[in-house]
Amino acid sequence: MGGDLTNLEIENDAAAVGQSWQRSDLEAKVRGTFRYTADLPVPRCLYLGVHRASQPHARILNIDISSALEMPGVVRVVTGADLFGIYGELIYTGPAFADQPPIAIDKVRYVGEPIAVVVATDLITARAAADEVYVEYGELPAVLDVDDAISGSDYVHEHLRPSSVFSDLKHLQGRGETNVNYEYNLTSGDVEKAKANSDKTVSGEFWCPPTSHVAIELFSTTAWVEGNRLEVVTTTQTPSYVRQALASMLDIRLNQVRVRTQPLGGGFGSKMYDRLEPLVAAISWTYKLAVKLEITREETFVLTTRHGVAVSSQMSADSIGMIVSAEADVRYDTGAYADIGPRIASKSGMVACGPYKVANARVRSRCIYTNKTSAGPFRGFGVPQVTWSHESLVDELAREFGEDPAQFRRKNLLREGDVAPMGTVMHSADFVGCMDAVTSAIGWNTPLERARGPWRWGRGVAVGIKAVLTPTISNAVLQLNQDASATLLISTVDMGQGSDTIMAQIVAEILCLGPDQVRVVNPDTDITPYDTITAGSRSTYHTGNAVKKVAERMREKLISIAAQLLGVSETDCKLTNGGVVASSSQKYLSIDEIMQLHFGAIGTTLTTESNFTTEWIPYDKETGQSVKVTEHWFAGAAAVELGVDTRTGRIHIAHLAVAGDVGRAINPALVKQQLEGGAIMGLGHALFDEIVMDHGQMINGTLLDYQLPSVKDLPDRLTPIIIENPHQTGPFGAKGVGETAIIPIAPSIANAVRDAIGIRFTRLPLTPERLLMAMAGEGD
Amino acid sequence: MNMVFQINGRDVGIEVSDSELLLDTLRHIGFSSVREGCGVGACGSCTVLVDGKSVSSCLVLTSRCNGSSILTSEGLADDDPVVSQFIKNGAAQCGYCIPGFVMMVSELLSENPIPTEQEIYNHLEGNICRCGSYPEIVQAAMDASKAKQTSKLTC
Repeated sequence: MGGDLTNLEIENDAAAVGQSWQRSDLEAKVRGTFRYTADLPVPRCLYLGVHRASQPHARILNIDISSALEMPGVVRVVTGADLFGIYGELIYTGPAFADQPPIAIDKVRYVGEPIAVVVATDLITARAAADEVYVEYGELPAVLDVDDAISGSDYVHEHLRPSSVFSDLKHLQGRGETNVNYEYNLTSGDVEKAKANSDKTVSGEFWCPPTSHVAIELFSTTAWVEGNRLEVVTTTQTPSYVRQALASMLDIRLNQVRVRTQPLGGGFGSKMYDRLEPLVAAISWTYKLAVKLEITREETFVLTTRHGVAVSSQMSADSIGMIVSAEADVRYDTGAYADIGPRIASKSGMVACGPYKVANARVRSRCIYTNKTSAGPFRGFGVPQVTWSHESLVDELAREFGEDPAQFRRKNLLREGDVAPMGTVMHSADFVGCMDAVTSAIGWNTPLERARGPWRWGRGVAVGIKAVLTPTISNAVLQLNQDASATLLISTVDMGQGSDTIMAQIVAEILCLGPDQVRVVNPDTDITPYDTITAGSRSTYHTGNAVKKVAERMREKLISIAAQLLGVSETDCKLTNGGVVASSSQKYLSIDEIMQLHFGAIGTTLTTESNFTTEWIPYDKETGQSVKVTEHWFAGAAAVELGVDTRTGRIHIAHLAVAGDVGRAINPALVKQQLEGGAIMGLGHALFDEIVMDHGQMINGTLLDYQLPSVKDLPDRLTPIIIENPHQTGPFGAKGVGETAIIPIAPSIANAVRDAIGIRFTRLPLTPERLLMAMAGEGD
Repeated sequence: MNMVFQINGRDVGIEVSDSELLLDTLRHIGFSSVREGCGVGACGSCTVLVDGKSVSSCLVLTSRCNGSSILTSEGLADDDPVVSQFIKNGAAQCGYCIPGFVMMVSELLSENPIPTEQEIYNHLEGNICRCGSYPEIVQAAMDASKAKQTSKLTC
């Protein structure tokens, strides 16, 4: 064993970080052999069918389950009253407010809310029997408009019920006669004075409609009881949260609940917090049954949405075109249950003035209950909706001065070291670099033939800013196996962003391993350690830092053991490809040998663990100010060249360029895919993606009626651009990228439409009908 | 009813009810590449080839496939050029919809071995990739077309 380094062929592989490693599960995904959550083996189950509310706001006067119970194959029918009778107040769950029962208890608050759940021997019977449940409603006035919800006297909830998760919401406990469940305020400087002394002011009333995530994989949750434990297999981005929520609801210990998930067939924020899990877990635990709930696409539409958001905003600049004040009144329509809406209202409210140096700012951002499907997190966490406002306003302001919109932004954008309106300093957020890259890509300064037959052409640009979710926690456990392979235990959920691949790259970089030597274990709360959530573009930075740390600890451990075996000091040793070498003697031991000599056995494992936690300084309740409101910033920009067909109102995008400052790209190919994917999703939000409601009923909640971007909606050219300004505490300088691209897309397109036909649109989406009506002088 | 069909080249005899959907039958037998995304034939995740023609298996009654030959992505050859080019181009993110795209590209190239980019767009229009891997998917289709031509020339 062992030997002289000089006599050994040590391959000097290229480093792992910065390389476009192939996605670790790519081949299985292409061949179709990859197993998603619904493909996991589970015990023989009974199936659940859900009877859903047909009224947006009504008392439940009577539920007749007799016909359903008579159907062959039906085992039982469960109502909210059944569960409330057993669990009492514990049955209400939610990440910010414990306001949502898994099945409606006394009244229904949106069309589609579960009222009764059938347990049956097969799925078809369960669904058919759910249709045989009859409900007598006592109709209540429905709160359907976000502004009526503020001013009116009909209330979705009798009183507010903050959860125990966020201590800063405690003071809202029991507050009644309001639909506003949270209000974030930001003030800096003196807005009135600045406005009075300004040269030009622009204002607008903006609206982004609710939209649906439509991850193509449908939701599925299976639960069964084993002894005194509950096993749950579910489609979730938040396995650690789900374990806690279920343990709290059932009043059992954390180690009595096991939550597992496979990599998801898309999430985009939809598969988070309390979705199907409380309902399925409560039924399984209460009646000691193995039960499975798989919902249809139509049910998915009423499960969660992106927030519809109204923004009333103003922006003023002085005589030389420097922005001196910005204001925004932001109203998030959060639907029937708060979900994480209060956090969305604050995290988005704090950037509602945009990525600009603005000394005088005022924001009020409210999260408001209405009688609609509960809105939750959606790629961008509320920020695309406020970006729609500030990037439209700043464009108009530039035009007021007759200035080029890119040049006007360049003068005003925040730079490294600048302090944003909420009081936190900028670092590793190159707004100017992103904007210059995208404008240059589309030939911003080249001549444009504006009128071509019935077509009118224009260009637009927009810049976005978002804070990463802070504070959060990531943990990692690493096993180094005797044969120099490694097994990484983390609870980050790969849902297409490629986290399993880049976490393996980080381990490989530190331990000098190759592409197939690191396996990442899928989230399993019995095995993989706590992780706050997989969301908000946080995993590359947070889990990435935990993974880097756990691999560094492994390297130290290995070197320490090798030093003893080689009889040299630890400082003399270096981990190189496949083993440890002593610099002084050039003696070398492979990992295989080190492990065998150390343990005296083959097949052994060395284990290390790590934690990475970020901290913040909570913002001031009155002013929204904090010197550290977030761990880091995301910066992105988009520029577009498009034509408008003045006969049909159709928009044709010739070139869309999108850039994100990712600190450092761990895997450039996967980063580019995230930028492209975010841009394409954003393009849908700009052009047609919209949930349409009529008297509280969703009228386009099927994929026959709900339009999504297809291959034919691709721009003629789509250019993703990676900007790298390494973050001082990012793993190898890296930050996340999942949301960066989607944020500026819609306003960049609207700004180009403004440039092409001279009309400012303030409501999304920019459908041909809306454009035609506007060109005819009607509508918006 | 009792019926016999071929799945990925193997004869399979089963008993199905008149109302059973091909999607459910195939998944029940174990072909999990066939996936429900919408249930109304609008997303393409459940696409399989029946006698060489693409169908949304969520809209097809299994009983109508008696005697048919069915191909799912699991049944493509190890060195299938479409599969190889999807892998080479990294044409997947979450991957859920990808087998449906693979089957659509397979169908296109068997009917039209050298499609134009526009013909590829037209053929794939009914499939939704929510992650937006379209640029890689289109490139994979073009490269698979080229690879097939090259392998024909060398035969």
